[in-house]
Amino acid sequence: MSESFGLRASVAGEEPAVKLDDVVKRYPGGVLALDRLSLSVAQKEFVAISGPSGCGKSTLLHLIAALDHPTSGTVWVNGRDLSTVRDLSYYRRHEVGLVFQLHNLLPRISVLANVEIVMYGTRLSSRERHQRAMELLAEVDLEGRANRLPTQLSGGERQRVAIARALANEPKILLADEPTGNLDAESAQRIMELFGRVRDTGVTVIMVTHDEVLASMADRTERIERGRIASSTVNR
Amino acid sequence: MPYLSFALRNLGAKKGRSIGLAAAVAFAVMTVVTLAVTSSGLEQSAAAIISIGKADFTVAQKGVTDLLSSSIDANQLARIRATPGVQSAVGVLVETEKINPQNPVFIEIGIDPSQLKRFGVTVLEGHPYAPTARNECMVGWRAAANLGLHVGSLFRADGTVNTVTGIYSTGNSFGDDAAMFPLPAIQGYNRVPGIVTLVFVKVRPGTPISRVEHSIQYHMPELTTIRTATQFGRADRNLVYLKAAVTGSTILAIIIGAVIVGNTMLLSVFERTRELGLLRAVGWTRRRIVGMILIEAAALALIGAAVGVGLSFGISVALEHVPALQGILHANYTPTAFWRALYTALGMTFIGCLYPAARAAFLAPLRALSYE
Repeated sequence: MSESFGLRASVAGEEPAVKLDDVVKRYPGGVLALDRLSLSVAQKEFVAISGPSGCGKSTLLHLIAALDHPTSGTVWVNGRDLSTVRDLSYYRRHEVGLVFQLHNLLPRISVLANVEIVMYGTRLSSRERHQRAMELLAEVDLEGRANRLPTQLSGGERQRVAIARALANEPKILLADEPTGNLDAESAQRIMELFGRVRDTGVTVIMVTHDEVLASMADRTERIERGRIASSTVNR
Repeated sequence: MPYLSFALRNLGAKKGRSIGLAAAVAFAVMTVVTLAVTSSGLEQSAAAIISIGKADFTVAQKGVTDLLSSSIDANQLARIRATPGVQSAVGVLVETEKINPQNPVFIEIGIDPSQLKRFGVTVLEGHPYAPTARNECMVGWRAAANLGLHVGSLFRADGTVNTVTGIYSTGNSFGDDAAMFPLPAIQGYNRVPGIVTLVFVKVRPGTPISRVEHSIQYHMPELTTIRTATQFGRADRNLVYLKAAVTGSTILAIIIGAVIVGNTMLLSVFERTRELGLLRAVGWTRRRIVGMILIEAAALALIGAAVGVGLSFGISVALEHVPALQGILHANYTPTAFWRALYTALGMTFIGCLYPAARAAFLAPLRALSYE
């Protein structure tokens, strides 16, 4: 089924946003996280990666984010083999946006500054960075909390800040690792709606979750078991 | 938030540690600067001696441990006077004596009264002493004011009581804060008949000074000429050793400071492992991470340098008031002292930060993010 989505991308004449070919990831000590996994995600698609703990979901995301590299196989992102990308910092800054389970906001700087810091090193001036961060916070309904510290926000609000931060450099792909893992149902629902809106703006969203209900809210759910794609479900 | 503000925020976040680190830098800077300014003061005091007699240059014995240990005999003095281009050569015997706690290094100059004019001395009151008088002297106007002396007063020096015959001025603060005696008398007190310490040479108009200097040094290699304070080391080895000690202390302070800074910054990097991992994960380059650490360090260095110089001022003033050091130590703050403060502080923080910064830059983002 996953192949059909790869075909869908081809039919549309677009390169897949993400494509993994026979990817193996073996950690030191011999733990096999991904076992010849192949996957294709079309442009502007919202895909949920689900599966039990330790099945390799997060590893998959880390490989796409270039935070780790595969033992064998190839990870393609927007037509580029990641192993050939020399400036991974640039890649992580501009090509992908990352949202973690633990929001990983810096606690001693304001919400606004947390969004701004990922724009250092871009061509934006200090004023433009500020303006862009405010716009993003407005998009996640947090413009009123811009000057607060992350510790003064609820879990759901922090995660929305993390999403705003991930989108700061207008990435083509948003990668979210268990973004709702620590949230109540209402907050999780809100985050999912936000991802839907992000997808609607043309960003490919890949979300890892162990929650099957939330996974079903994505366009497609890929279920991983023991490092392989076990099933693929089109939700809409 | 500008990048600079972001980089500096850590200093405010860990105030105690920042203050401790800046204090360590300040202490090292204070030590280095105090040593430098006091040694510079000693050099300035010593160099002032050669500027008393308004000469083109001074001749001294080469390589003595202390300029005042220089010994030039009558034959050498005559050869200097006979050197082509020399207009006048005034031989003087200089010694220092503690005359009271406020004047531990009072300068006493033995000079023939016939040479006083060539030496740039103007008699303000009274008259010069007789050439071979045994208990007569003149005092500079500053010394007279400081010691409450006037013409006819009795001045105790070298274990003898001398009548002040005149008050003089040389136009030089060190010369005016001294006393002058008949040359044979002061040679006798010191049991060095016919010996002078320094020869003050004036060159004939139109003759290149350096040519006369070279001629004297060529024909009398045991002697050296001094024109500036920086040439002082040719004659006075103590100042050379003192400067070497200051340089050594500076290097030592930089090394010790670098170890302290390195240790503290490494601790800071460990504490911020997750944060650094996050910044790498969201696309910060290694250069930007290193830059952030170095900006923090540079800020600490500048604060430490400023505080260190301030402390140095305080310590110098305090040292000048220690009874045992009164009149000996004079801090001489030159631009070099401030540069020394700056490069000591920047040097120790930069060297100390190299390893922590490299460690921060090469953190694996994923591992750093899972760091507890």
